[in-house]
Amino acid sequence: MLFPTVEYALFFLVVLTVAWSLYRHPALHKIFLLSASYVFYGFWNWAYVPLLFGISLFSGLVALRIQKSVTAKQKKAWLIGGVVVCLSTLAYYKYTAFLLTTLLRIAGRSGPAQHISVYSPLLPLGISFFVFHAISLLGDCYRGKVKEEIDLGDALLYVAFFPQLIAGPILRASRFLPQLAVPRNPRAIHVNRALLLIVSGLFKKVIVSNMLATRLVEPVFAVPQGFGGWDTLLAVYGYAAQIYCDFSGYTDIAIGCALLLGYRFPRNFNAPYAATNPQDFWRRWHISLSSWLRDYLYFPLGGSRKGRGRSYINLMITMLLGGLWHGAAWTFVAWGGLHGSYLVIHRLWTRIEWQPVQTLRRAGGWKWASRILLFHAVCAGWIFFRAPSFSLAFSVFSRLAAPGVATLASGPILLVLFFGLAGQFMPSRWRNGLEIEMGRWPALARGAALAAAIAAIEILGPSGVAPFIYFQF
Amino acid sequence: MRKVARSHSVRQMALVLAGFLAAILLLECDGLVNWADHLEQGPLRTSAVPVTLAFQRVARPFGASIVRTHALLALARVGWSDDAALLAAADASNTRSGSAQGCCGSAANGRTSASGCAAPAPHNLFLNAAGAHAPLLPVVPRSTMLMPLPPVMPGKPRVVALAGDSMMAVGLSATMLRQVVDNRNLRVIKAFRSGTGLARPEVFNWMDEYPAMLGAEKPDVVIVAIGANDGQGFVVDGKVLAYGTDGWERVYQERLASYLAMLSSTGARVVWVGLPPMRVASYNEKIATINRIAYTVVSQHPEAMWFNPVSYVSDEAASYREFVTLPDGRTMRIRASDGIHLSDDGAGLLTSVLVRWLDPPVQTASQGAPAPSHR
Repeated sequence: MLFPTVEYALFFLVVLTVAWSLYRHPALHKIFLLSASYVFYGFWNWAYVPLLFGISLFSGLVALRIQKSVTAKQKKAWLIGGVVVCLSTLAYYKYTAFLLTTLLRIAGRSGPAQHISVYSPLLPLGISFFVFHAISLLGDCYRGKVKEEIDLGDALLYVAFFPQLIAGPILRASRFLPQLAVPRNPRAIHVNRALLLIVSGLFKKVIVSNMLATRLVEPVFAVPQGFGGWDTLLAVYGYAAQIYCDFSGYTDIAIGCALLLGYRFPRNFNAPYAATNPQDFWRRWHISLSSWLRDYLYFPLGGSRKGRGRSYINLMITMLLGGLWHGAAWTFVAWGGLHGSYLVIHRLWTRIEWQPVQTLRRAGGWKWASRILLFHAVCAGWIFFRAPSFSLAFSVFSRLAAPGVATLASGPILLVLFFGLAGQFMPSRWRNGLEIEMGRWPALARGAALAAAIAAIEILGPSGVAPFIYFQF
Repeated sequence: MRKVARSHSVRQMALVLAGFLAAILLLECDGLVNWADHLEQGPLRTSAVPVTLAFQRVARPFGASIVRTHALLALARVGWSDDAALLAAADASNTRSGSAQGCCGSAANGRTSASGCAAPAPHNLFLNAAGAHAPLLPVVPRSTMLMPLPPVMPGKPRVVALAGDSMMAVGLSATMLRQVVDNRNLRVIKAFRSGTGLARPEVFNWMDEYPAMLGAEKPDVVIVAIGANDGQGFVVDGKVLAYGTDGWERVYQERLASYLAMLSSTGARVVWVGLPPMRVASYNEKIATINRIAYTVVSQHPEAMWFNPVSYVSDEAASYREFVTLPDGRTMRIRASDGIHLSDDGAGLLTSVLVRWLDPPVQTASQGAPAPSHR
């Protein structure tokens, strides 16, 4: 079920109504939300609901075992066993084809042709997200961050809760389970904030992301050789805006829906293209994933505790695996490697104490210069992320210098590109101001304004809704 | 100054939702009818259509749908929409003097049929087209011949239209475009759209959309791959025809024949790319039926040729294959991860044959035999 559809709107209205009518009965309330989450997932394919249930139940049971283990050795054994099963499941579904193709390509070079007649498994929707939720449950129990004894029902709902199920944000067990432990407060619903988030998410997804995808990015990335430098540059900027609006739009809607149900999700994006260095970027882009990778991968690898050289290696490992998490292809690994190298270079750069460099850093225009430099470095990474192969990625790079006029630069496209990129520089006080202003309106008028905004988005958006980019991860 | 609350009670939220529902039913009554109309045949559609029509009857007198209609047409006029039929409708409405109705003429896609006009009846201009009523052929041959085209005239590139649904949009079109980008003998125009088909003209009517996509172009050759979304029932004259029934097959065959007649109406030769075997068995059965109907229609048409992808992307038993190993030892994944579409590598196996046929390399007389559509 896609968020920007009538089906989801009807589903959510029913869930919202029933969930709040049950708030006095927390057990029933949670059972209902869990059932609704399985319906939401089953709407795509019922065949994978048992997998979702199985992973959630398994992680809940192992988390319980971790909590009940007496010795540190036992705890660690349960943790490792649980993580191995979760990651093996992810690897089976997500990386079988990648592994087979890579191995057979290598084998083909060294010997006679290898014939295979197996299929790789179909990728269950959102598996990367619900497996990471399961691992977060295990990790937080292992570290003692979950104080109360795990309630199996809560564990199931934590992994499968529908607003975050398909594409995040990735919730931490230690922060979400306490919300499930107490009844929702029927007098503290952040309605205005939720409505603004839902409208802004729909605007970003339905208008900006879809228009840029179909009319700018897809034509150029499909056949880069057919376009000149200006079109290629626009398409690269367009993809930077598209992926931001697509993914942050999804999480805005997810956070808004959760708020209406009385739950708080963490912020997942914070104006990432306003970042001035790679570390800053990763504190603003897909925050729930980058902090997950930091806490459950970078720190366990040793972080920066084992010396400078080792910290650089740890950074590279984290980002390479982060790239592979995004997609089972070497282009994603290259994207991760590029960002790893950006982080390492930035760390080396910050250690330079040479006076001219210090002066440069303090110069008035340095902030914007570094912002523009970083944006283009990020765009270079997006080319590998978007292109289906290295040859097409390099073709995009080479076409940046090709002569030719901008044939795709129509007024509407430039306008939505501007909104997609410049929108994140909008001061947060504007949104806060609007939220407060809405608070002065009668409730019925607020609802009518929401309807008018959604109708406008429906009219302005292209017909048909493309799936969210992050669904594939 | 009165303090403004940042959080609200369930009751206040219920009032907000009531305001939302009242306004959205008023503003989007046509959009909702359109949504219901687009649903596949089934319980949801059966209940959604009368309910949304009832909302529409109540909301129409308030005039909100006219605003929506005018907004859609105005957006098309300023180039906001890339929908070919909607643009054509906007142009047409420009030429109509003082048209206050804002009705959408021939535009038949979902946006326009929802904009206050009755959904236009599918054009059935070619109901007596070749193959429209021929008895279904029992078997689709594994390979057929692509008859040679006349040589490309110097300075006059051959115009090739790529048509169809996502079976053309994903893999085939991009691969072919990449292969011919530097070829001065071929000029390719795009006339495909994902998520469409021939079974539901009330949702997306190719009889309107294809001419609008072509504009003034007159292709010499059309390569078409379509039908992946057509394994569903539809309504004809108020009667539901379930997929696979005799009535369904007869109407679908007519629609295929009409579409093919339209593709060839500019004098173009048409290459109909059959659908490849699908991964899920039940879906593969539907696709086999659609292929059988399409082949029957194509085989009756003098300007159309059947191009079976089975020889390239399947095994001897014509079953689904995800990987193939080429004679040079390279193994590649020829299908997309959804088990339906071709990957770029898989599509490349087909398009390299098609491009060689469209623009054969210069060869001696002894090598000039027609290119077979199989290896």
